[in-house]
Formats: sequence, structure tokens, C-alpha cells
Amino acid sequence: MAKDTRLEDAVMSGDLSVFDFCCEKIDGQMERMKEKNPDLLWTLQIQYDMWHQVRDAHNNGKKLVFFGGPVPVDIIVAFDCVPVYLDTVPIRLSPNPTLTGKFIDSAERYVPATTCGLCKTYLGTALEEQYGVTPDAFVYSSVPCDSSRVVYPNMERIFNVPAFSFDQPFRRDDRGLEYLVDQTEKFVSWMEEFTGTKLDWDRMKETMKNANRTYELQGKCADLRKRKPCPLPGRMLVMNGTTNAMSCYPEMGNLLEQELATGEMMSELGMGPCPDGEKHRVALLQNMLWSFSGAMDWMEREYGAVTVMDAFGYQHGELYEHLDDRHDCFKTIARKMQNSPMIHGAAGPTENYIYLVDKIFKDYDPDVSIFLGHIGCKHTWASAKIVTDMIQERFGIPTLYLDVDGIDGRYKTHDEITGALGQYFDNVVNK
Amino acid sequence: MDYQKLFETNISGESVKAWKAQGKKALGLICCHVPVEIFDALEIMPVRLRATGTTESPDGDTWMSTFSCSFARGLLQYWLDGTYDFLDGIVTSDGCMMSARAYDNAEHVDKTRNTGRFFCQIGAPRIYGELEHKFYMNELRDLIAKLEEFSGNKLTDLKLKASIEKHNEIRRLIKKVNDLRLEKTPVISGSDALKIMLSSTNCSTDEYIELLKAFLADAKNRAPITDKRARLMIIGSALDNAGYLDVIEENGGLFVADDLCYGSKPFNHVMEIDEKDLLGSLAKYYLTRIVCPRMMDNRVALQKSIVDTCREYGVQGVVYQKLQYCECWGGESLYLEPDLKAAGIPMLTLEREEHLANAGQLAIRAEAFIEMIEN
Ligand code: SF4
Ligand code: SF4
Repeated sequence: MAKDTRLEDAVMSGDLSVFDFCCEKIDGQMERMKEKNPDLLWTLQIQYDMWHQVRDAHNNGKKLVFFGGPVPVDIIVAFDCVPVYLDTVPIRLSPNPTLTGKFIDSAERYVPATTCGLCKTYLGTALEEQYGVTPDAFVYSSVPCDSSRVVYPNMERIFNVPAFSFDQPFRRDDRGLEYLVDQTEKFVSWMEEFTGTKLDWDRMKETMKNANRTYELQGKCADLRKRKPCPLPGRMLVMNGTTNAMSCYPEMGNLLEQELATGEMMSELGMGPCPDGEKHRVALLQNMLWSFSGAMDWMEREYGAVTVMDAFGYQHGELYEHLDDRHDCFKTIARKMQNSPMIHGAAGPTENYIYLVDKIFKDYDPDVSIFLGHIGCKHTWASAKIVTDMIQERFGIPTLYLDVDGIDGRYKTHDEITGALGQYFDNVVNK
Repeated sequence: MDYQKLFETNISGESVKAWKAQGKKALGLICCHVPVEIFDALEIMPVRLRATGTTESPDGDTWMSTFSCSFARGLLQYWLDGTYDFLDGIVTSDGCMMSARAYDNAEHVDKTRNTGRFFCQIGAPRIYGELEHKFYMNELRDLIAKLEEFSGNKLTDLKLKASIEKHNEIRRLIKKVNDLRLEKTPVISGSDALKIMLSSTNCSTDEYIELLKAFLADAKNRAPITDKRARLMIIGSALDNAGYLDVIEENGGLFVADDLCYGSKPFNHVMEIDEKDLLGSLAKYYLTRIVCPRMMDNRVALQKSIVDTCREYGVQGVVYQKLQYCECWGGESLYLEPDLKAAGIPMLTLEREEHLANAGQLAIRAEAFIEMIEN
């Protein structure tokens, strides 16, 4: 039976907005799941909540705050606004190269083709006026990279709504944190003016408690991955990079509770995602391959190689401690910003990246190292030798370098990617 | 005084060596947000690093991969192959990611080679306001402390003020060089103007001032350029190769203005001095002068300054060159192009590499653009 592509076609023709597409897509997936696999409905619930919350925000009388980079989402939610993380759009569209292709091509009229696919997709969606909702405000940060620093200011002008930008320092020490605390205070004043309401600390405490629950659970799920065999599949790592978007909603915690329970159960049974047992443990040194997360299933199936962690999605799991101490909370926010996915590895000096990768290798004991280098992420490529030399020296593991586009699936076919991975497993890992 | 040195852009290190022969230090600089005034005040010669003349960069490619901008790879190449062995280290701010990585790799390799050279990175905010000013001031204080220890000299207000005044003098002199380009038939080509600015990285500050004065004194004796067909402005990625301009000028264009960080940009604004707060003056100057799109809050002003410069210099066409993999300078066209169009100025967008391997193609594009302007 031919695949039903009506929704995709409608996006391509400009008749359907991206947020409507995401909502309708997840509605359909949930329906099918209800029939075939009702036990797994929980895996989709968070997406359902997120996309509908965004699409319906204005109908529900809420303001939409689009954001890029690490910004204090918990504060945005405490002001009863709906945060929209730009990265979730390209990540959601990326399994369909035609869709991302439309927006990427649109963006390439104005930015270099070598710009990150994430940035090109959300810029292109703005240029095509296809978000389907109008942001009420735009908040962004000066990290992670040159791509985002070029695209965010352009988007600020396209959106033409109140905007706030954080200047995130490259230094990770106390001075850097205090600098972010000061900016967070400034941001609160800005939000107060924007919403016309004062920051309600009780609401803030609610969001912080929810975020704590989320990150505690995420930390436990990550810990499960240290076990042998690793009980959770590689593809579940995909979510790590975007947890921030929903971390202060209870629904995110609910999802992670289920993930944890499933992982615990699998672990008790001594089972993992590799059908023939775990033979290898893979560390990915960069982003997730969003455009082809099936590559991880493939490695599990074909080579018994489970992806235990990816460097960019890896979270340090910062938790709020003293919920009544505003300065302490804002300092935790600052730490979260500095250590959030992608930023900790991509922005700032290479030494941060080394620290992160070293920790992954110590904690998760991988025996396979793969640099699935997203081509838009040139600065990570420019650190890769330092990092992979370190892995070779300290852990005796060589690294496969493979250029991919994490968002633009047109860059390499699935066969090309699995072909290269397969060769590596056959000729190096299993030699 | 013979000012020919102003037109020599190869990296000889001759002036640095003479400087160091007096027992003084010299440091390489990456990025325009490291205040040179501090270095001069501490008798450290600041040498902005360049990649001029790199034809290939095997070491740079190995460390940074070929997915990096070829200028940054070229910088690293020169650092690793010994071209810059006469320098005592590098100071950088967090500029674009490519140059930051050139620094990271240079530092890493130096450490593994145990060279003992000096490496320092300071943070420079990407927006400007009270908090950012304060942050940058602290970064500058740290830098000063480190440089004092490194050089064995102490920074005083007197020394800093004298240094600022010298650099302001350079800015005024460069303004005079650029004023020559306002003329209908200028006595200096765009390529020569760029060479003059590039040579600031080949000279000590005092030497550069003398050379500029000598050139300006002799400018009236230079023959006006009368055989060009279009007045152009060049903007975009780091460009430290005057040969690139030569190709376009040989095809009938004349660059009368630029917006380059190796060209006029760092010299365009004279620093205002608050006698009671010299460091504050420096901080404000470096974070507000419009040099580079690494700042996130200067795009409107940067684009406006390009359009204004076009009007002031009677520019008929803008050449927007982008190095491959340079995102920093990659995103101006969305708003700049319509602004230029409204002013009746066409823009030619070109992609290039540090090594000018395809001059023929460039000549064809330039010729077509100039012809379009003429018609
Ligand atoms: S993946 Fe790399 S290039 Fe893309 S936004 Fe993240 S840090 Fe920037
Ligand atoms: S040319 Fe662009 S990418 Fe290269 S160092 Fe300069 S600003 Fe950075």
C-alpha cells in the first residue's frame, strides 16, 4: 500500500503549518499505537502534550515565547507562558528529508549552505511563515555557535516581537555563573514587563520542583545505561537533547518514570535492546543522528552494539537545592545553562568537551567510539582530533569519523551510513 | 623616509625580531576584541596573526578538519609549521568558533611540545550593556595581571594613556589614507590600501606611525588612478590577501572602501578617553566599535554603516566575499541586500578560500559585475 503523504504534501505546498503537521502526525501515531501497542502509548504522550500545548496556546489565553539556546525555561513557565524550543522543530521534521529540505533550501538563500541544519530549518520555517503560530516574544542565548549567532538575530528581526538575549560567557567558573545570575535577574524584570505580572515565587517553586523531578529521573535513566547489558535502547537518547523544552512540566517526569521502570525491568531480566545480546557499547561523540535514529537500532540488531551515551545530549543533571533562596536558584539556572546539552560540548574551549567525553568513557565503559560529525558543527570537527587523541591515549580506543548531517537527510542515504558503520565494525572493531 | 614596507604583506617577523633583540616580548593576537593598547603600554609587541600566503595547510587540516574555514586553518598552519616561531605566545578573545578552535589547537600542540609559550583567552561579551561592560572589565583586569607577570612590567594610567593616544593617532592617520579614496580619481587602489592596513601587523606601533606619516606626505606625488570603471566596496570574512582585490581591480573595479577586520574596520573609530576611567574607556570602545558580526547586537548598525559608507564614498557596487565555512560573516544578506538595493547599489556575493586558486573564475564574475554596473 502506498504511503499516505497527505500531511507532508500539505506542508510542502504551504497549506499546512509545521505545528499543525506535528500535532496531526502525533495524533495519527497515537491512534495507531492505541490499537497495536497500547502499553507503549506513554512513549508518545510527551510529544502529544508539547505540540498541542504550543499550537493551542493562544486559544488557551497563553503567550508563546519562542526560544533558542539555553535559556531559563523554568522562569518562562513560572510566568504562565508557553515556551517553544526552536530545536524541536528541525528534530521533529528531520526523519523526513523532503520537509527539512524545503526549509533548509529556503534558508540557504540567505545563509551559507554550511550553516547548521538545525538553524537553517528553523530560519527557513520563519522565512516561509510556516510556524502556524505567531510568537509573542523571542528569547535567545549567544551560544552554542556561530550558526545560531547568525540565525537568532535575523530571526529576531523577522519575528519583530519583544526579544531578550543572554550573553553566555565561555568561562565556566564562578565569575561566569554570577554573570549569568545577573542576567537572569534582568530577564525576570524583562518578563515582568512583557507579561505585566510579577514573578510569583510559589509558581517558580512549582516549576523548579518539576524540573528537579525530571532531571533526577533522567539521571537515574542515564545511570541505568552504565549497567551491563545496557537495558535501554540507543534511540531513547534522542530525547535528552530536548528535555529542556518540557523539563518543568510534570508530564516529562511521568515519561521518565516509565522509562526508568521499563529499564529496571529489563535490567532485572538481564535483557537489553540487542536481540542477540550486548557485544559492544558505543559512545557517540557528538550530536544524535536525528535524521536517522534507526542507525542505532541497526547497530543493535546487526552488531549487538548498543549506544550507551552521546556526548551532546549528556546531562550533568543540575538540581535546585534551596528553593527559597533566589540567588542560589538562579545560580543553579546558570549552571544548567552552562552544562546544557550541546552547549557543554560545542561552545567554549575544547577542554570542556574533553572533560565531558572523558567522563562518558569512565562512567559508561564503551568499547566503540564513533564521531558522527554533524557537518554543520564545524567547530566540533575542529576539536575532534584533540578529543579522539585523548580517547586513544587514555582508553586505547580508536574512533570512527563519519560525516553526517543530523538534520538534512539528503546529505547521506541510510545505506551509505550503515555501510560505513558496518565496515568499521567488520574491519576494526571485530577484527 | 622610505615607506615601501607598508606594501609588504609577507610575514617576515623582521620588526618583531628587532623588537625582541631589545629584550622585549611579542605576542600573537587572534580576533579584534583584544585591546592592543594594553600590550603596547606593557612594552609587549602585539602582532595580529594572519594566514596571508598559505597555499595549503596540511597541519591545520589534520587538527581542525577540512570542515573549518581555510583562514583559521591557515593561522594554525603557520603556528604549527614555525612561521610564527618568533612570537612568545597567543592571546585571544572568544571570537568566532573557527578562530577559537585555531587557538585551542595551537595551545594544545604547544603544551604537548612543551614550548612554554604564553597562552591566554579572555571573554568578550557579544552584547553591550552595563553588566557586559562590567564583565569585560574584569576580563581585562585579569589579562593585565597576566601580562604584567609575563612581561615583568607594571601598567600605569600614564603608560596606558600614552598607548591609547598612539593608537588613536594611527586611527587618525588611517582615516587620512581613507580620505584619499574619497576622491574621484584616488591615488591609491583598494589593494594597496589593504596592504597598508595589513602591514600594521608587521610593524611596531611607533614604526607604523612613522611609515604612515611618510606615505601621507608623499601621497600628493602619486598618480591618480583613472582607468577604472566602477567604484566598489568590499565586505565580509577575514581577508588578509590583497591579491584577491588585485584580481577584481585588474578587471576594471576600484575598491574605494572596505568593511574588513583586516582592513579599515579596526581603525575606523577614534577612541574617546575618559581620563578618570581609562580601562572603562577601553572596554566601551572595544565592545561598541563596529568591526565584526561576532557581536549579536550590532547587526542593524553594522549594515547601516555599510550603506552609509557606500553613500559617502560614492560606491557603485558591493562585493560580499565569504570564506567557505565562515558562518560568522555569512548571514548579512537577508537585510543588507534590500537596504543596498533601496540605495541603488548592487551586491555581488562570492565564496572563496584563503588560497586564491581560482583567479580565473573570480575575474569572470568581477568582469560581469562591473559590466552590469556600467550599464
Ligand atoms: S549542532 Fe553544532 S552547529 Fe548546530 S546548533 Fe548545535 S552547536 Fe551549533
Ligand atoms: S573568516 Fe569567518 S570563520 Fe574564519 S576566522 Fe574569520 S570570522 Fe571566523
